[in-house]
Amino acid sequence: MNYKPPRWADRFLAWYCNPDLLEEIQGDLYEIHDEKCAAGKPKLARFLFVWYVLRSFRYDVIRRNNKYKNSIFMMTRNNFKIAFRVLWRDWFNTALSMGGLAIGITCFLLMGFYVKQEVSFDHFHSKKDRIYRVWLKEDYGDNKVFFNSVTPLRFEELLEDDFSEIETAIQFNINNYLVGKGDDRNNENVAIISPELFSVFDFKILKGNPAKPLPELNDVILSASYANKYFGDEDPIGKSMGIQIGEEIRDFNVSAVFADIRKESSIQFDMAISNENNKNIYGERAMKAWFNVSQETYVLVGENSHISAVEEKIPDVVMGYLKGSVEEGVYNIGFQPLTDIHLNPDIPLGIAPVGNRDYVYILAVISVLVLVIACINYTTLSVGQSLKRSKEVGVRKVMGAFKSSLINQYLSESLVIAFFATVIGIALANLLLPIFNDLTNADVKLGFELWHIILYLGLVLIIGISSGIYPAFILSRLRITAILKGNNQASRNHYIRKGMVVFQFVVTVFLISSTLIMRQQLNYLHTKDLGFNYNATVSVPLYPDPSANRLSQLIVTAMEKGEILKEKLSQYPDIQDIGLGSHVFGSSGWGRLAFTDDAEVFRRFRLLVVDPYYFNTFHIKMKEGRAFDPKSDLDKRQSIIVNQAAVDYFGLDEPLGNRLPSKRFDDHAIIGVTENFNYSSLHSAVEPLVITQNVAIPYSGISDHGYADSPIPKLVFRYTGSQLSQVKQILNKEWENTFPEEDLNFDFVEENMRYQYANEDRLNRLVMISTILSIIIASLGLLGLTVLVVNSRTKEIGIRKVIGASELTIFKLLAKSFSLQLLLGIVLSIPVTYWLMKDWLSGFAYQIDIGIGIFTLSAVISIIVALTVISFHTIKASKTNPVNSLRSE
Amino acid sequence: MKGNHIGELEELVLLAVGALYKEGAYAVAILKVIKDSTDRKLDVTAVHSVLRRLERKGFVKSSMGGATQERGGRRKRFFNLTQAGRQALDDVMAVRMALYNKIPKLIFSQLSL
Repeated sequence: MNYKPPRWADRFLAWYCNPDLLEEIQGDLYEIHDEKCAAGKPKLARFLFVWYVLRSFRYDVIRRNNKYKNSIFMMTRNNFKIAFRVLWRDWFNTALSMGGLAIGITCFLLMGFYVKQEVSFDHFHSKKDRIYRVWLKEDYGDNKVFFNSVTPLRFEELLEDDFSEIETAIQFNINNYLVGKGDDRNNENVAIISPELFSVFDFKILKGNPAKPLPELNDVILSASYANKYFGDEDPIGKSMGIQIGEEIRDFNVSAVFADIRKESSIQFDMAISNENNKNIYGERAMKAWFNVSQETYVLVGENSHISAVEEKIPDVVMGYLKGSVEEGVYNIGFQPLTDIHLNPDIPLGIAPVGNRDYVYILAVISVLVLVIACINYTTLSVGQSLKRSKEVGVRKVMGAFKSSLINQYLSESLVIAFFATVIGIALANLLLPIFNDLTNADVKLGFELWHIILYLGLVLIIGISSGIYPAFILSRLRITAILKGNNQASRNHYIRKGMVVFQFVVTVFLISSTLIMRQQLNYLHTKDLGFNYNATVSVPLYPDPSANRLSQLIVTAMEKGEILKEKLSQYPDIQDIGLGSHVFGSSGWGRLAFTDDAEVFRRFRLLVVDPYYFNTFHIKMKEGRAFDPKSDLDKRQSIIVNQAAVDYFGLDEPLGNRLPSKRFDDHAIIGVTENFNYSSLHSAVEPLVITQNVAIPYSGISDHGYADSPIPKLVFRYTGSQLSQVKQILNKEWENTFPEEDLNFDFVEENMRYQYANEDRLNRLVMISTILSIIIASLGLLGLTVLVVNSRTKEIGIRKVIGASELTIFKLLAKSFSLQLLLGIVLSIPVTYWLMKDWLSGFAYQIDIGIGIFTLSAVISIIVALTVISFHTIKASKTNPVNSLRSE
Repeated sequence: MKGNHIGELEELVLLAVGALYKEGAYAVAILKVIKDSTDRKLDVTAVHSVLRRLERKGFVKSSMGGATQERGGRRKRFFNLTQAGRQALDDVMAVRMALYNKIPKLIFSQLSL
């Protein structure tokens, strides 16, 4: 060889090439290389050499040496083949462990995807890491804090113009408007958005100009489903829609259609107009106001900037505007990452509803727990079987099997089981998905995208290895001599195995008790005497006069309209106890007012504006004094009623005839004190409440007010139960006669009351599903274990029967060991349950006591289930004729 | 016939192996013969893989030659036609000739016009 070919290529060839073929191939390549070099083309020669080396890298040239041949390729195949045979032979056990695992996986997937959906709320926006929601915290000291994640209108301009770090600031708000023309008008939630919203968030424009979906003042955009609702199959672009803003019904042209917004988005709307209309909607003054909050403001931080730079600058900028009007440290602006909105409880609610972070964590833990008990199930079953398999291990070891190859063998088995269990689990989860979504009111989807597939495969590996590793070690550790002599070595492992069974019982009993406790608490919440009667009551939202502007005007004009409707409805005997009130039970966030009292203490209370009949409708009981007298004009002008909580809070020793503790309020007198009825959900204790007919009294002395629930009055009445459809007809007819322009809505108060605990109901349902699934899993495991025990003791049972043991004695004998484990599980579960459930209950101002009753009940349930499962096989065993079991061999 | 079927390149290589009987047929030599007689430029790795395939089918047999100073001391693998290989070539030829002979002379005369 006269010329040297590239060394790395030569080495690479030598590395991969089958040694039998290496010499000739290398020789041929050298020869060609030499020849080309001799012909004066060394570069071409080198190139060709490398090329040929790479081209020779083919299946039939690659080295397959003996090591690979034996343990990886060949043995894996062999292992799986044997695994299938073994699993097939013991099909009953296989079915039990596979079924348990599959159910565990189903539960894990359903819960897991639900949790994932909650955790990844708002994560689908491509710029999510740069989007923040702005909050505003006014802190005047002395607990006088106003913390809001809705902000003044001027923030959009402020943030965009004064901060170079912020690329875009947008605002978002939702108002309720009448949409449509003439008789056909609907109440719709209309979003008022900055037109740039679509450049910040990844909402998709289907029709219209994606860069400028809202070019004009009078443009409106619709979601795909709303376009369908209003225009059917017609092309909506350019069509006009009437929207009543203030007094005026304006024509808006549809300029774009966007794809329906996904459920896992905090920002939800179906219809939007440009916030260029703000001046028209809120008035000139609000545009410049610093303390009038209404809008959610989002900022998109520039690609090379960081939000902390804005945070640093903001106090100085704000003080530049507000010098003289507020002190330093009072007016604080902060930013919350978009992805943080859905589950962060520390920042108040904006427009978007949020989830409960604790509940998400609870569900995540439960879903993992169920999966763990399914794995334990498999582990204990296969350890239990190790007795049967010990002969096989002995023979394999005699034949020279390494410990590692035995471990591989048994791991292959558990991988096979895990694989099929996962497949079944996915199929089951898919089947149960509609039921699951229905029960939990969630919108979970199971996907088969790349990451799902990776997840599923990962699940197979993790489950297979974690549940198979322990039995594999036990089996491979057995000593040959002992096995072949027939000694039973398994006793050493009993503690761990029994420990696992006990753990399984602990988790299952814990879940049973928790479900029961939650159920009991929810029952308590739903049935507690709240101090008023809301059975068969209906609330009908009224409309204020379109010309009304100020809040008190809105309330008064709607009240007046309510009087007209009330007049007409009162002629029907089916409709009774008609009243009017600014808030109705079942909605949270009644009007909250604040003032500074004569002793300079900052005070808050809630306000309810009613007519005299409201007390009647809901059967509200007075503790002292009297209710409003319908005939008394004085009552109408200057009487107020407070609840007991307000009496205590304001420190009124002699409430009757007294007044609220501030001179600034107009003339008024307290004429009555009500019981503390629970007007808000039972999560919180009863807050001070002031009830009045004259909205001017409270408004004369307050410094701040806020409403999470609309204070526009509602008409409330009680219907005589059986005639519901007739009541609807009456209501429809009279409403049409009275307010032909407006849309009729009505709510059943009972429904709203139930809805207050929707989150808890959902959690309870999810926990209940997991409980049932885990009971099934544990039962399957128990069944498998009994079968094993019974089978290994057939002879013993036979002999005992021959000597004279009764069937009951045999049953007791077999049930004894499991009963002890179960009892231990029950006892251990009690402190865990008590501790965790106490924590959950502390979220309610009104809680049940966790009594011994619950634990007894769950113990009884679990014992009954366990005994049923055990007896399934045990009774059969104790009844068999001893002749049959003793004659064999 | 399916098992004995040989492709066009296989046929060519097989012919070359036969033709190189005296000189000794190894990959590079086969490459050169084919290049000289058909002006086709083949890749040596392609020849390797065809030879391995032919050997698996039993049309050629191989043996290692002696060590020389050339090729960095690497020995050559020499190939020889087997009976089956010879038979396969004969079959291919027979099929071709049989079909060729059926072409009427007329066609040539017409073409030449």
